[in-house]
Amino acid sequence: MAKFSKLAFNKGELNNQLSAFFADLLEKNAVDALLAPMAQPKKGVMQTLVTSKQNLSGVDPFAPVVPVNGARLASSLTSNPSGKKIGMVLRSCEVRALVELVKLKQANLEDVVLIGLDCYGRYENTDFLKLRAAGATTEDFLENAQAGKTETDGCDVAGACKICEFPTTDNVDIRLCIFGAGQGTLLIEAVTEKGEEALQTAGRKFGDSPAGRAEAVKKITDARVAAKNAAFAEYRNSTNTFDALNERLAACINCYNCRVACPVCYCKECVFVTDTFRHKGEQYIGWASGKALKMPADTTFYHMTRITHIAAFCVGCGQCTSACPNDIDLMPIFRTSAEKAQGRFEYLAGRSLDEPQPLSIFDHDELVEVTGQVK
Amino acid sequence: MAENKPIGTVLVAGAGISGIKAAIELAETGYKVLLTDSSTQVGGILAKLDYQFPSDHCGMCRMLPMVGREYSSEYCMRKSLYHENIEILPFTEVVSVAGDAGKYKVELKKRARYVNSEVCNELGKCIEACPVETADEFNHGLTTRKAIYKSVPHNVPQLLLIDKSVCTECGECVKVCSTGAINLHAQDEVETREVHAIVLASGVKLYNTKEYEDAKSYAVSPDVVTSLAFERMLSGTGTYRDGIIKRPSDGKPAKKIAWIQCMGSRNKRQNRDYCSSVCCMFALKEAVLAKEKGGDDVETTIFYMDMRTFGKGFQQYRANAEEEHGVRLVRCRVQEVVREPDGNLRIRYFDPETNEFQIAHYDIVVMSTGQIPFDDHRKWAELVNGELSPTGLLATEKYSKVRLAGKQGIFMCGSLMGLTDISEAMASGIAAAGEATSFLNAIGTDKVSFEDIAEPVTDDRQLPKAAVLLCKCGEFAGAEGIDLDMIKTEVMKHRGVGTVHVVNSICSEEGQKEALDVLKKAKCNRLLIGACQPFMYRRKVRDIAKKAGYNSSLVQIFDLLGIARRGTEEASKLAWTRRTINEIKADLESIKQKPALHVQSVPINPTALVVGGGIGGMHSALSLANRGIPVHIVEKSGELGGFAGNQIAATVDGLKPMTMAKDLKLKVFEHNKITVHLNSQVTKTEGTLGAFESKIVSSGTDQKTYLHHGAVIMATGGHEGQTDEYGYGQSDRIVTQFQFKQQLESGAIDLSAVENVVMIQCVGSREAGKREYCSRICCMWAVANALKIKEMNPDVRVYVLYRDIMTYGFLEQYYTKARAAGVIFVNYDLNSKPQVEIADGMPVMRFTENILNTEVEISPDYLVLSTGVDPETSNTELAEAFSLPLNNDGFFSEADSKWRPIEFKQIGSFLAGVSHSPMPLPDVIMQAEAAAQKAYTYLSGGSINTARVISTVKDALCIRCQRCIAACPFEARSYNAAEHRIEVDPAGCQGCGMCAVACRNNAAEVSGWSDKQMMSVIDAKLADDLQPSTAS
Repeated sequence: MAKFSKLAFNKGELNNQLSAFFADLLEKNAVDALLAPMAQPKKGVMQTLVTSKQNLSGVDPFAPVVPVNGARLASSLTSNPSGKKIGMVLRSCEVRALVELVKLKQANLEDVVLIGLDCYGRYENTDFLKLRAAGATTEDFLENAQAGKTETDGCDVAGACKICEFPTTDNVDIRLCIFGAGQGTLLIEAVTEKGEEALQTAGRKFGDSPAGRAEAVKKITDARVAAKNAAFAEYRNSTNTFDALNERLAACINCYNCRVACPVCYCKECVFVTDTFRHKGEQYIGWASGKALKMPADTTFYHMTRITHIAAFCVGCGQCTSACPNDIDLMPIFRTSAEKAQGRFEYLAGRSLDEPQPLSIFDHDELVEVTGQVK
Repeated sequence: MAENKPIGTVLVAGAGISGIKAAIELAETGYKVLLTDSSTQVGGILAKLDYQFPSDHCGMCRMLPMVGREYSSEYCMRKSLYHENIEILPFTEVVSVAGDAGKYKVELKKRARYVNSEVCNELGKCIEACPVETADEFNHGLTTRKAIYKSVPHNVPQLLLIDKSVCTECGECVKVCSTGAINLHAQDEVETREVHAIVLASGVKLYNTKEYEDAKSYAVSPDVVTSLAFERMLSGTGTYRDGIIKRPSDGKPAKKIAWIQCMGSRNKRQNRDYCSSVCCMFALKEAVLAKEKGGDDVETTIFYMDMRTFGKGFQQYRANAEEEHGVRLVRCRVQEVVREPDGNLRIRYFDPETNEFQIAHYDIVVMSTGQIPFDDHRKWAELVNGELSPTGLLATEKYSKVRLAGKQGIFMCGSLMGLTDISEAMASGIAAAGEATSFLNAIGTDKVSFEDIAEPVTDDRQLPKAAVLLCKCGEFAGAEGIDLDMIKTEVMKHRGVGTVHVVNSICSEEGQKEALDVLKKAKCNRLLIGACQPFMYRRKVRDIAKKAGYNSSLVQIFDLLGIARRGTEEASKLAWTRRTINEIKADLESIKQKPALHVQSVPINPTALVVGGGIGGMHSALSLANRGIPVHIVEKSGELGGFAGNQIAATVDGLKPMTMAKDLKLKVFEHNKITVHLNSQVTKTEGTLGAFESKIVSSGTDQKTYLHHGAVIMATGGHEGQTDEYGYGQSDRIVTQFQFKQQLESGAIDLSAVENVVMIQCVGSREAGKREYCSRICCMWAVANALKIKEMNPDVRVYVLYRDIMTYGFLEQYYTKARAAGVIFVNYDLNSKPQVEIADGMPVMRFTENILNTEVEISPDYLVLSTGVDPETSNTELAEAFSLPLNNDGFFSEADSKWRPIEFKQIGSFLAGVSHSPMPLPDVIMQAEAAAQKAYTYLSGGSINTARVISTVKDALCIRCQRCIAACPFEARSYNAAEHRIEVDPAGCQGCGMCAVACRNNAAEVSGWSDKQMMSVIDAKLADDLQPSTAS
């Protein structure tokens, strides 16, 4: 089924090899444009859109950083389609969010060749910049991570990544595999026919299926699932009352950064900035009668609203936590509520393009025990 | 408008669904209705059913009006019913009926409930205190209740009552009742009312094990239950809990369940030579539900005689039950049920699959119990001095199922006509209302009229300022219930309140004058009114408000006396008052945040277009024209009358369609309100709600006519089906049932020379890929032709090869008669169809005789094929011209197969007769009358109002994710790709709010129900900032 093409690289040559591969894709018109993480002239690695191979020098897809969830960028590029075929290099959390956005009609994959990555996790943006400034390279990171070590100089990958049970990327056309690929090797997998066609056009030759990949993936996944279960249990124990939740959110200042960073919070204008939440003076006075009113008000309400809005779509990328200026660890709140909400509908955000989203269809027959209706 | 004409008033006796439907139709037309029920509740049998096929859901509310929603109170119908023109009198019996046509005096006995629902707080302390426990009839004795109880668990408001037959008068309830609502010495009240017409909708008694001897051999254990009792075992308000269907005897999960059909029905020896019509579908539905509610491992078996799936969609439901849900059907009459020592129920039956006797054990056996109609019919015949037919049923006028013979102004509907399914109950209720309306019209009564007061113009920039009007309801509220002075003071303090005024009685003319005066002076722009029974006075109060300059959407009415009491634990004046203040503040917040909403009045062209000039079409046209509505009939052939009116001289039950059609034609041509367009077809219809233009093309010419109309009735009919099966076309001795009937009647067949006639039923019917439905009339035609043969020459051997004989209802007697006359009925199924060969131009037949299980070869003189009924071929073009839906079989699709059988989803479009599905003539006429009534109510108003509460789209906020489109159950939302925006069809939107739920940021919002408003209400309700110091 799946076909693999081997890409061997010498130490320090990974990005050059990948750059050459992407150049082939562009030059042979397998794609018209490419969106991929690239090193920026001054500092940092950001998703970058290029249309010619001359601009591929900074290619660095495995750099352990995701400054913004790429699903949002994919939405910008495709919701009003350009008519050009775009290759997009994205990680699991980005593709899973993108799947949700496609279902919400905020993105369109018709002219997209999705290229997924195996992912050992990402650092927080500031940590990544710090490490890079100190000379750390992507290959160093991959080598250490393969040996089971992601921590460097007191910095570790994001909490969301440690408990992410989707280290490989599904629902893509092409996959860049490093798990179980062996030293100095990267495997380019054609996952779909579209992917195979693109690789053939780019002149890739297919070889044997790699031995040991499945096992390597399983090992990583199992470890992450165990970590997830432990983290969820800890979180649920510590945040099992409304007061505890309030306390967890106490530092919130209604900056709404978490909402801006969230790839599936897709409204054009959030209800919290509309008139609905422009309360009248008399209302504030009313709330303050007989008790102290912390201001800004509506902070816990805001997060709870966000839970109801995105619990069905949350893919657990953890960008909310990363975006918080006051270090509120929001990710567990959303991941645990999402697990419950999605489980309730036998849904898993990002799993498939074909499953209808919960509450998006009018279905008489769900939540029987709540509604008392049959089926 | 003439001043001295009385308002037409109708007594509807029986508040089951057909009675309710009749009452709503009459009330919507503008007549007053007294709706009585002898039981303690409204809703009849349907109040007990949580689920109905084919959707296996409720949906009772779909019988409520879909237009003009602003003026009726719409609630869950299983909870209760409110309409300003309907006076509901449960627990009331009709004791006597005196007088003549148009002037009836009815004596009504209101039975004492012993609990005054005006003051009862419904908390049920009395129920806890009551020491008497007895079987709960709502759950058929599966559960118990107290002597003081709530008769229906889900009613709103809850009307408690005392069952005096078990009450010991210990007085415990009186002691705990803090509101003094209980009077153990209350008396029944009898009052006499004058009505102009009467609709009998009382339903009929059902067969039961207590009264009828022949049930005893079945009812051997508490685990043998009736089908209605089983329904309660599937309901959360019955005994269903946690996914378990409980066996009544020991509460164990029931995993093997059997149904025995025809309990009490189809039994000539017991004088019950009729079919109860609905039990087959009821059992199929229960079997499907049992699997869904009890788990996939539940085994269900239905023992039946004939599976009578004769109605629209019934056959598909049966196929689905068998194929998708694995419901097992066994054709066998079970003679007895035996209780084994371990409590299991043993059934011995003959299995036609194996041709052997089998024994099976079940946890529950459900008896599909039918109707026992004669007592009810005799009772009504005596009361109204009506005529009884030889069968023992109330005689109706010829061709009519609803008009009582010789009794002007008295009609019947629903299960009194013989048990009916929901759609027939609806159709008959509407038809009865239609007949009553025509009658009231003819005797010159008036309708309830309303002044047409223009909606005041509002200025949205004004700050909200509310006037609060409280009705004292005489002296009652002030003296005993709540402290109006305190309310006045406290509410006055609330921000945004302009005035608070107490009137003595807002239902009196004086009170209304006072209110108008106060409101005019108050210079407010919002109005909150507290009165008793707010549902009853809505329109009147709104009219006063309009006159005083208040926009209707900014007027809110609440139940002043009930609001505090219901559910308030502490029964003190202070507690009630505080609760009332809190509720008023919440309502004030809601109304303050509300924008003025506007209703558009759309004028309607009061002309009807009837497509199809058969008997049904002509009936609809006359019914409308007689009430002053101009009608166009478009008929594609050169002759009115349709298939039945031009081809069928007589039917087995003594009707003469050709004679009837001749009479109707005469009336149609003579009527100055009816225009007939023969040889014509509608090719295109354009226009909007209430104003359509249809293009009519005459065949063979270029002549085009444009008709303008506000409503359309589809009455296109059907014709006999075609076939090439069983050698049809290869011998002149192989004929269709209709051809045979004609040859018999014309004398073309010499029966003295005939030895054998074989009839095959369901030719090309009830079979995948062919006519997948039952044509409903072929069995009767076969029985009629067979009887005719036997009458003319008893020596002819007549074989009828059938799959299920569909002689439902009282047609069963003709089937019985045919068997008595020696007609041989042989069952076959699709796996063993009869074989036909042609030898020397004559058919030679082979089939299996199922009693002796032997192969029979016969050379019949005639082979008669029942080829079913096909829909009119022009349906396809008409469906396109009118944008109306067809089902897979080519018949038109009504709005809702159960609750709205006579109308299309498209407002102003109706259907009747065979355009809906094949049906016998009396049913065609009943539907035609019902369609005319629906069209009349719609057209006679002159205009309709668009709904005020509909959903809207805020384009600036909308991200076009289209979740709202998927979520809309009425398909009222769509995506306009060209303009890249979401659109709402204001006529289709029913304001349910699903879109607002699906939408994340309020880009979809239901007008008048904003989040902001709701949050303010919640805030106000939670506040309760009334300090005890101010309260004391």
